Amino acid sequence: MSEFECIATEILEKATIVKFVDQRITDPARIESLGRELLSLLDATSETGIVLNFDGVSFFSSAAINKLIKLESESKKNGLQLRLSNLRPEVRDLFSYTNLDSLFQIKDDQIDAIESL
Amino acid sequence: MESTTQHWRYDDHIPSEPDCCATIVGMVLEQLEKNGWGNKDTFGIHMAMEEAVMNAIDHGNNRSPDKTVHLVIEICGDRFYSKITDQGDGFDPSKVPDPTDEENLEKDCGRGVMLIRNFVDVVLYNDKGNSLELTKKNSEANA
Repeated sequence: MSEFECIATEILEKATIVKFVDQRITDPARIESLGRELLSLLDATSETGIVLNFDGVSFFSSAAINKLIKLESESKKNGLQLRLSNLRPEVRDLFSYTNLDSLFQIKDDQIDAIESL
Repeated sequence: MESTTQHWRYDDHIPSEPDCCATIVGMVLEQLEKNGWGNKDTFGIHMAMEEAVMNAIDHGNNRSPDKTVHLVIEICGDRFYSKITDQGDGFDPSKVPDPTDEENLEKDCGRGVMLIRNFVDVVLYNDKGNSLELTKKNSEANA
């Protein structure tokens, strides 16, 4: 897969695993890049699904969440499944407060996420 | 600006630039840590400040170089307070769509405003809607 600035990827079993480079995802320019890089995965992924592993992510703004919503929507159109895993409790709260845990499938860890695909 | 471990106050106008938001938030996080605030409360204040200041810069001032955001921030022991005022036309927060409604889940608007409300104790907007005050108590104080 091509070079990215905001994410690191690897293929594991039937999933493309995505980790975030930044610990705090707040900078508007970086968020725009992140959004583009995530969407570019859709064409490059031949696996069943994408797992976004939040290990190491301590902060995620609403603007960054909007990029995930776009990815979720586009993944569905492309027949790909999307999973989120390894969220810190505070970051997990973001998704429950905003009712986005009904939109995203959130798993405790990467293994659960891959097995659920 | 004055700074002690007991009472820290910031009162200044910042340019409508995202980098300035990051600088201010960094200062606040540093002061919260100095005052012994825990991870959960610190995360909440980080979220509320990030969303409120970026809203002021982006939606209030449209990142205009001619406009500033007035910030007052106080950390006094177990109490956090901030007043964020932009130079925009304001908005009516009661008219922001509820982002948790099923029909709005995939829309971009309103999520930041909702998160601010969830992560601090008190949120007060002025009548014009271009200024808001945030208050949060340290939930771990005297625990």
